[in-house]
Amino acid sequence: MASVSEMYDVTWEEMRDKLRKWREDNHRNSEQIVDVAEELINEHASKLGDDIWIIYEQVMIAALDCSRDDLAWTCLQELKKQFPGSQRVKRLGGMRLEALEKYEEAGKQYDSILQEDPTNTAARKRKISILKAQGKNTDAIRELNEYLELFVGDQEAWHELSDLYINEHDYGKAAFCLEELMMTNPHNHLYCEQYAEVKYTQGGLENLELSRKYFAQALKLNNRNMRALFGLYMSASHIAASPKVNAAVKKANVKYAAWAANQINRAYQLAGRGTKENKCSVKAVEEMLESMQITMS
Amino acid sequence: MGEVELSCLAYVKMYLHACLFPRCSVNGLLLSSSPAGGAVCVTDCVPLLHSHLPLAPITQLALTQVDVWCAQTQQRIVGYYQANACVSDCSPTPCALKIADKIAEQCNNAVLLMIDGGKMSPDYRVPPIVMYERKDSRWTLKDKHTIMLRQWEETREIAGQLLDSGDHSLLVDFDSHLDDITRDWTNQKLNAKIAELASPANAEQQLKAM
Repeated sequence: MASVSEMYDVTWEEMRDKLRKWREDNHRNSEQIVDVAEELINEHASKLGDDIWIIYEQVMIAALDCSRDDLAWTCLQELKKQFPGSQRVKRLGGMRLEALEKYEEAGKQYDSILQEDPTNTAARKRKISILKAQGKNTDAIRELNEYLELFVGDQEAWHELSDLYINEHDYGKAAFCLEELMMTNPHNHLYCEQYAEVKYTQGGLENLELSRKYFAQALKLNNRNMRALFGLYMSASHIAASPKVNAAVKKANVKYAAWAANQINRAYQLAGRGTKENKCSVKAVEEMLESMQITMS
Repeated sequence: MGEVELSCLAYVKMYLHACLFPRCSVNGLLLSSSPAGGAVCVTDCVPLLHSHLPLAPITQLALTQVDVWCAQTQQRIVGYYQANACVSDCSPTPCALKIADKIAEQCNNAVLLMIDGGKMSPDYRVPPIVMYERKDSRWTLKDKHTIMLRQWEETREIAGQLLDSGDHSLLVDFDSHLDDITRDWTNQKLNAKIAELASPANAEQQLKAM
């Protein structure tokens, strides 16, 4: 089988830089990471210098994600040799136990880290991940709430909690988590859009109006967000069609919906040019927008 | 109740959808190009989401668009499939039941299909699926003997081949389409590839019949 460097015609430096980018962006493209890093380590270990240790960590986690215990074990041994007694390496050992579904042993590993260092957030979060892996969602939610009382600025944890609440259909609490995220990340269009989706799901006129506002806000932050555009269209349409609104509100929402429909059509026309492939999707959207307009008037 | 037939195309795309997003719950719609009445023939599927399955707006949007597309192509929505992220539990979630209920309003022998993640490894000889049908307003487990997959061996082969060659990344679900609307959620390209791989088997069958 051809090597990565042969297939993509890249140098070892480019491979190393790609790995760094994936690390910084926290990408979970584990299969790719394993392919690239395995070759880098096997062929060019000597050139990597001290970078090799962080690469070992990165590829070990990716290997666990791909069930490559052989590779994960090798990386773990190298790291244990270089950093004996390290908490960070101990946590990696715990993750390997998790991957092998040895949850009790993994839990004990994290507990021993926490005994030495009760503020070790990584170990606490791994313990919560174990609960999630075992399907114990209510326990995970409870533990995560306790965690957030102590570490209130942990964005990743707030987002995880909102996801857990969504899966439990507890939309009110999911919205609360997303509100925290929007406060600390006012320019993040994805949080606005997710918040709008949760409000829409909760239903009722007040929530629909809120959802429309936040879909609009998401669009202001990123006018290419198709989910926000469709969301704006649908929420405005539903408000306009509701018997509880007065004429002025109805008129305004018909306008918003019409604007959104226009934008959607434009986006699809642009996308439809040049490729024969998505003609079906373009036609489906056109018809859908037409049919929804009929039900609104 | 009645018999359900699952085509190669529907099964392969469903399977590849689950394989493409192994860390997420995924879902989709089951379609039929056969007329209503008699056995349910699932001839195709549309992969929908791989994130935030319980949230309403995108699901509603997808259902409406697929409805329109079905009307344009003489197909009907006859069922719903889901694969849970947590491999140890393949029972239908409340959101699965909700969507399946909605489909059952329009199609009275609709099916709910759960993919059993624990049985998806290559050494499993039987299809990793569990089907439910509506009896007395509840979704009940379907008798395995009423579920048919013609040419199961070939179907499994094709799914495996596409996985090995990396072609499963050609699959576009509705979520991916919204990330990049130039991508086609009706998956014409992938359908063609599957048909190509399936046709030698058909040709052989026809030869045997002659």
